[in-house]
Amino acid sequence: MKCKRCRKATAAIELRSHNATFCPDCFFIFFRRQVEEGIRKQRLMSRADRVLVCVSGGKDSLVLWDELLEMGYDAEGLYISLGIPGYSDRSKEKVIAFAEARGKKAIIVDLCDEGVPIPEAARANKKHECSVCGAIKRHFFNRVAAEGNFTVVATGHNLDDESGRLLGNVLHWQKSHIARQHPLLPAAGEGLVRKVKPLWRLSEQETASYAFLKGIDFVIEECPMSEHATSLIFKEALSIIEDRMPGSRMAFYTGFLDLGNPVREAMGRAAAESGEFEPRPKDDGTPAGTHLCDRCGAPTLAQTCGYCRMKAKTVERAAQDAEKKTTEAQKASGKETA
Amino acid sequence: MMRMICVRIPQKKRIFEIPGPRVVKDILAETGHRPATVIVTMGKQLLTRDHRVADGETIDIISVVSGG
Repeated sequence: MKCKRCRKATAAIELRSHNATFCPDCFFIFFRRQVEEGIRKQRLMSRADRVLVCVSGGKDSLVLWDELLEMGYDAEGLYISLGIPGYSDRSKEKVIAFAEARGKKAIIVDLCDEGVPIPEAARANKKHECSVCGAIKRHFFNRVAAEGNFTVVATGHNLDDESGRLLGNVLHWQKSHIARQHPLLPAAGEGLVRKVKPLWRLSEQETASYAFLKGIDFVIEECPMSEHATSLIFKEALSIIEDRMPGSRMAFYTGFLDLGNPVREAMGRAAAESGEFEPRPKDDGTPAGTHLCDRCGAPTLAQTCGYCRMKAKTVERAAQDAEKKTTEAQKASGKETA
Repeated sequence: MMRMICVRIPQKKRIFEIPGPRVVKDILAETGHRPATVIVTMGKQLLTRDHRVADGETIDIISVVSGG
């Protein structure tokens, strides 16, 4: 099979959704154009931006950081160590090695040091790990961005992630989620930085191929907490359709984006009427029903933000566990003495 | 001893052998993988679906699906 672009080299990758085959060199050109197109079409950011790339050690986020650096963006990486035994250590090693190879140093936040490791935070707050993880990570994206004067936060969400999420939202008519789903989430005052997803036009297979061909050493194991994540079901459903009808995933997601703001605004209105929508502060920084958290200063609808409430419960639970352990140890030593 | 194709699936820590030669597309179908959910590699080479794998060669089937 030959590369359809240069018509000379042997193809390394076949993209049925684009009816194309590429050799490695031509694939990198294709990849760059997709990222550029994704940024340009949705006006995600410019070269003047200072970009905080959220990296997990997985393929998508490392590929994003690599590509943005090659494109000449001022991009730094933020790694949040989730406190998941084994997995967090291995993924951190990958991020550190990736950054060092490019003369960079990742900004590292350790949730164990912060008192909110994900397994414990989920247990203490009686919530699913993925839900707790998302909320805590968003808190640190905003906090680190504000502290480091970053103008935009970029995540490695790809076409499979976004189309799968859209399918899940539509299937359950999650109006408030549909209202917010977009590769660009604008900034809102000082507390909520602009968030972008520059890889929204690229599939997971394409980002994995890029990582492999570039020799990017990423963590291939999945987060052990995400084993039963519902997002995987929607992704699988779409991958079955994609196999039979290549290009369906892109058509589904770009079709949604092309419908534009009226659809999202209508969903937002419907969600607000049903009382499920939490308004985001306005672009000029004026809070829309929000004020600042009494503990950390982050924008929130309540007196104390979700992160601080979660942290308080986690710390309290950890103290109770420690007390229980001490009591049990004292009882055990008492029995031995007797 | 008969030489076969060695198939490795790193995420599942599985290694097994199948008789060759065989094209990647057929190997994926036999092992229950949808082509859009994996990349197939041999050493530093990325393989397309029509690539014919010979006996004695080792390939890796790497899942690209990330969740959470």
